[in-house]
Formats: sequence, structure tokens, C-alpha cells
Amino acid sequence: MLERLGDRLVGIVWLPLAVGIWQLAISVGKVNPALLPPPGSVFLTLHELVVSGDVVAPVTETLGMLLASYATACIAAIALGLCMGCNQAIYRLFEPLVELMRPVPKSALLPPLFLFLGVGWPAMFTVVTLGAFFPVLINTIQGVRGIDTTLIDTARTFRCSARRTVLRVILPATLPAIFTGMRVSLGLGMVLIVLAEMLGGEGGLGFVLLDMQRSFRVVDMYAWLVVLAAVGLGLSAGFTCLEKLLLPWRSHT
Amino acid sequence: MDTPMKLLELRNVHKAYGTLAPGEFATLDNVTLTVEEHEFVSIIGPSGCGKSTLLQILAGLMPPTSGDVQLGGVAYSEPPPGVICLFQQYAKSLFPWLTVEANVAFVMETMPGMSRAAARQESLRYLDMVGLAGAAKKYPWQLSGGMQQRVAIARALAARPRVLLLDEPFSAVDALTRFDLQSLILKLWHEQNLTIILVTHDVDEAVFLSDRIALLSGKPTRVAELVETGLARPRNQITTREQPRFLELRHHLMEHLLSPSLVDAQHA
Repeated sequence: MLERLGDRLVGIVWLPLAVGIWQLAISVGKVNPALLPPPGSVFLTLHELVVSGDVVAPVTETLGMLLASYATACIAAIALGLCMGCNQAIYRLFEPLVELMRPVPKSALLPPLFLFLGVGWPAMFTVVTLGAFFPVLINTIQGVRGIDTTLIDTARTFRCSARRTVLRVILPATLPAIFTGMRVSLGLGMVLIVLAEMLGGEGGLGFVLLDMQRSFRVVDMYAWLVVLAAVGLGLSAGFTCLEKLLLPWRSHT
Repeated sequence: MDTPMKLLELRNVHKAYGTLAPGEFATLDNVTLTVEEHEFVSIIGPSGCGKSTLLQILAGLMPPTSGDVQLGGVAYSEPPPGVICLFQQYAKSLFPWLTVEANVAFVMETMPGMSRAAARQESLRYLDMVGLAGAAKKYPWQLSGGMQQRVAIARALAARPRVLLLDEPFSAVDALTRFDLQSLILKLWHEQNLTIILVTHDVDEAVFLSDRIALLSGKPTRVAELVETGLARPRNQITTREQPRFLELRHHLMEHLLSPSLVDAQHA
């Protein structure tokens, strides 16, 4: 246990090192403090943001929008992925559409989406949902197809109905693959929500970040960047916890 | 005992995958076999002769190309009620996301009048039969291979089968565990009044367990010979294997399975 903790601490060494280099670069005058203020002032601003509670509203807005669209994308992708994986006719029906849509960088859809849905949350919700949808879909389909025939034969020999086979056998057996897709989607969703907020937001983290830069509040900008990084780290850690909780067998099979 | 009743019947079963090239043989060519109620029959044959295909057809997991398979006089091509297949790859057959207890309860939840709670309660009874009541709350991947196959056996029993089909169920466990599982299967066969068909490549195992042995030929596959073991029951892992009849059967079957290609190969 102590050894494992030690192993992890080795990696954390980079954090103070990076901050040290940052400070050093400014101290020796290699970097213009107007572009990159010293870490001390950034952390002080960050501290103020947290203590005053100013941090809460943008974080809530970004997280709310991200999680709503992410959840929508995951549920839709898992449902369609199961159908496409289990049924050849459904697969052939949707496969061309999926292959057409999948390679399009979802960020490029923001301008037309703003035209159709207006500059606001519906367009942002749509772009994040679309972006998060495909990795989960593709992984779900591949997961279903990769299921060992013994497992399906097991469901058959016990005369499980089609519904019971899909929900109680195929879905759980596909969960590890689904989670792989969901992890990719979470990262993509994070990128897209920040971008969407920069282009059309009114208060999320992406909006605030760009707003600070445009109003030359560089120290605040970096403080918000740290907030954004912390949110990403928190989401990733939360995801790992959820995965361990829901898929305890993953590392054993 | 009354005259034995015909329970399972394979009639002129033929199975070919896709179309055959000239000189290629069908996997199964005209296999006919009748199994009576409460019989223990083993199917044995050279590797690649289609033993597992035959069991899949018996399980209703795969339809024959022609001919039919009947349970109690009724032909079927989907898994019929009362016929349960136990797979060689128990680790891939058990559900790793469910506890041992939930794995067993899974097959009872859909039974009429059975609540989830009652199924859980019942599962303990079946786990007790295979000596695993203490492992109910564990996950399959926390158990040894032999224990996992015991869970699979308990789960198969929980489905209350008349016929149990075993597809080389003990080939993936170590030799000593195999003896344990063989004895366990014989005990359950007797207590639960099961009819068992076992596919195996292990001659000793087939002789030790069975009433009759269907010896398959190489391709094109047919039943080359039906051998009545005639060994007394209950069987004993030590003494049964020492009986002259056991050795005689073993000799006869080995001769069939090993000749002539392997003997020739030794001269090369």
C-alpha cells in the first residue's frame, strides 16, 4: 500500500517542478509577466475565486451542459449500438450514415448549428452530444460483436428471451467496451463544450476564459485555466471510480 | 425397472458447413443414436471428427443440415426445455458481473411463480449440492477453475434439466480436480435422475462414467461402434479403473482411436 502510494507520488513530482520552472522563467526575465504572470499571483487569484464562490456558477453551467449532453449521447449510442450489434438488418441500415457522420470534426458543425438553432444552448448541446455519441456507438457495436459465442450459447441453452438476452447478458458483457468508448467521449465532450462556450456561451468556463483574455485580465485567465484543468481531472477521476464500481471484473477476464 | 424409455434420438443426422469441395467430407454423415431415460452415454472420437458439432445439434444450438433430433418423440431445432448444455469453457459461460449465487439464480428468475428473492434462496440449495455454499457471495473470477466449473454445474442443475449435455467439461482442469468433478457428476446424475450425454476425448473418462459409449469414426463421421460398458455401479475412482473389463474397454477404444495413422507415424 505504502509502496503503491510512493509509486504515484513519483509522478506528482512534475507538478512542483513545472511551477518552479514557470517561476524561474519569470524571475530571470525570459518571459514577459504580462503574458504569463508569476504562479503566486495566479494561485492568489484562484484562491479568491474559490473563497468568494465566484467559481461556482461557471463550473456548474459547464458541468451541467456537459453531463446532460454526455448522458444523452451515451444512452442513445448504447441503445443504437446494441441494436446494430445484435441485428444485421439494423446494422446495414445505419452503417453508411454512421460512416458518413463519424469522420466529420464535430466542432465544424457549430457554425451551421448556430444558423439553425441560434447562438445558444441548443446548438451547444447538439454539438457535444454528437461528438460524444460516435465513440460510444462504435465501441458498443464492436463490443457486442466481440462477445464469445459460449456466452450467447449459454443464454440460449437456458432459453432466455431475446429481451432478457440483450439486457441481462449482452449489455453487461459489452460494458467494458462501452466504458472504453465513454472515456474517449468524455474527453471529446470536454473539448467541445469549452469550444462551444467560447463561440456561443454566456457564462460557462470556456466563455469566461475567452472573456478574461479579451479584457486583458491575464491573471484571471490563468486562474480559470487551472479551474478548468481541475474540472477535467475531477471528471476523469470520477469516471475511473465509476468504472471500478460498476465493472469490478474488468481486470480479471 | 420397467422397459427403458427412449428419451433422445438422433436420426440420420447430417451436417455440412457451406458447400463441400470435391474430396471434402461433411462434418457429420448420417449419425443415428438413441439415448434412453437416465442413461449415461459418452461420445468419443478422433479430434476434428465433429463431436462438438454433434453436441451442439443435441443441444438445439445448431440445426442439422438434414435428419432430425428428437426429445420424447418431438423434433427440435432450438434449445428445448429440459435440455441444458454445460460448456467446456466454464470461464466464458459464467457471468463475471454476477456473484456465484446470482449466476445460479439467473436461470430460475423466469420460472413461473419464482420471485428474485426466492431464486436467490433456491440457488443456495444448488450450490450446496456441488459443495460451494460458502462461495455464494463471491464472483466467479475469484474462484479456481474447478470451483468455477462447479458453479456452472450448479447453475445447470438449477434449470431443472432432464438431459444434461457435457462438452468436454473437465478438460480444462487439473488431473486431480478432474477426478473430483467426475465423481460429483456421477453423484448428481444418480440423485437428480438425470440423463447425461458427455462428449470427451478422454477414453478413461468415457469408460469410467458411462453406460454406453458411442465411438465415432473419422470423417465422414458416423457412429462406428456402440459399446456397452457393463461396469458395476456405484463406480469407484480407484477400484473401477482396475477391473479387467475397464482395461479391456480402454484397450479396445484406444486401438480404434489411435490406429492406424498414429502408429504409422511412429515408424516414419
